[in-house]
Amino acid sequence: MHDLLSIEKFLQFTADELLVDANEINMNTTFRSIRTWSSLNALVLISRINEETDLLISSRDLTACQTLEDIHLLIKSKINGTD
Amino acid sequence: MALIKTFGSTIKGMVSVVPKTTEDNMNLPNISTEDKESLIKHTGIRFKKITTKSNVDVKDYFEKGIEEILSKLNWEKSSIDILICVTQTTTTSIPSVSCRLHGDMKFDEQTMCFDINSGCSGFVYGLQNIQSIMHGIDKQNVRAILCCGDLSSQLIEENDNTTRPIFSDGVSIIGIESIESKSEITGYFNLETAGQGQGAIYTAKGANQKDYMRLNGIDIYNYSVKYVPKNISDLLKFSAKDLSFPDFFVFHQANKLINESIRKKLGIAEARVPSSLYEFGNTASASIPITLNTFWENHQKNSGWILISGFGVGFSMASGLIKFEPEICLQPIEF
Repeated sequence: MHDLLSIEKFLQFTADELLVDANEINMNTTFRSIRTWSSLNALVLISRINEETDLLISSRDLTACQTLEDIHLLIKSKINGTD
Repeated sequence: MALIKTFGSTIKGMVSVVPKTTEDNMNLPNISTEDKESLIKHTGIRFKKITTKSNVDVKDYFEKGIEEILSKLNWEKSSIDILICVTQTTTTSIPSVSCRLHGDMKFDEQTMCFDINSGCSGFVYGLQNIQSIMHGIDKQNVRAILCCGDLSSQLIEENDNTTRPIFSDGVSIIGIESIESKSEITGYFNLETAGQGQGAIYTAKGANQKDYMRLNGIDIYNYSVKYVPKNISDLLKFSAKDLSFPDFFVFHQANKLINESIRKKLGIAEARVPSSLYEFGNTASASIPITLNTFWENHQKNSGWILISGFGVGFSMASGLIKFEPEICLQPIEF
């Protein structure tokens, strides 16, 4: 199983990339309201997800997401080949 | 898949011309210091070259570079058979920049001239075009000049924090000459297009009816990492060489995030992938030559071949494995 499929590891990974504390975010967090969220940090997150999983998340994919759980489900469906 | 071999010509000299004025990303307005530092860290870009005069034309920069290359290579204007300009920032679309240069600089009538509308992949497209045309000219010694580059700052909206930290002005002028053996392979090219990515970089009218460049960073990233490593692998397969063969891999300078992802996917050491992002930013079709100009003098060479790869606006991607042993490849000059 890929690391990013684990909720705990996904939250830690996201916190690290967005430079916030892991306890500041949870799966229900609307990621656009995270204080460090910016178009640049969105790109950083997408590029790091790609380096870890080889998955591509397009701007359209991201627009359809609201919470961190949405991003996690997207990664899950892409890894499992259901997207 | 446009896989192409070129024969019998090589680059003799390469000069780059950039504006004197430098813009520092640490001085960008309306961004916190922390965000500026993060921006520089992830894009790899600290400084950009910016034209400040309002009536400046990319043609003026090409003209300066052509004078420079002709004098450095000791070439007469009358010896030039081909003059091609690659740019997307002309001040007038009709007539072509190359025809205007031809007239104003008084080239001879036998010089063929045309422009190529291309951005980040344009240097590779231009070089392949020129080498293929040269091979078809029935003459012992053929000479060509390729001009490429943009004054992108003319398309940047002042408060656009997506494009402004990235794009930088600069042009490069490349002198190409036939070699003794007309049948010797001197280049392999892979020119491709993913036109469904046309919306990732484009121009649109702002409120003041001026054209401004718009960039979707995530989509450009996705197209780059999806297509460029494969474009390069296919090229190497076509040339029957592997990743160990080129002395250097000189990529279009998009930004550090994209370039590093491509490098890691190919699995090449950092030392073989030079960058000019920090000092010169993203200079569109001039970025590969500018990078070569900044590092070429002081580096050890072995095979005498380099791999070049341009990718971006279009979405267009073009890689070349080329013989590269120029007589002239000096630091960019300011104009």
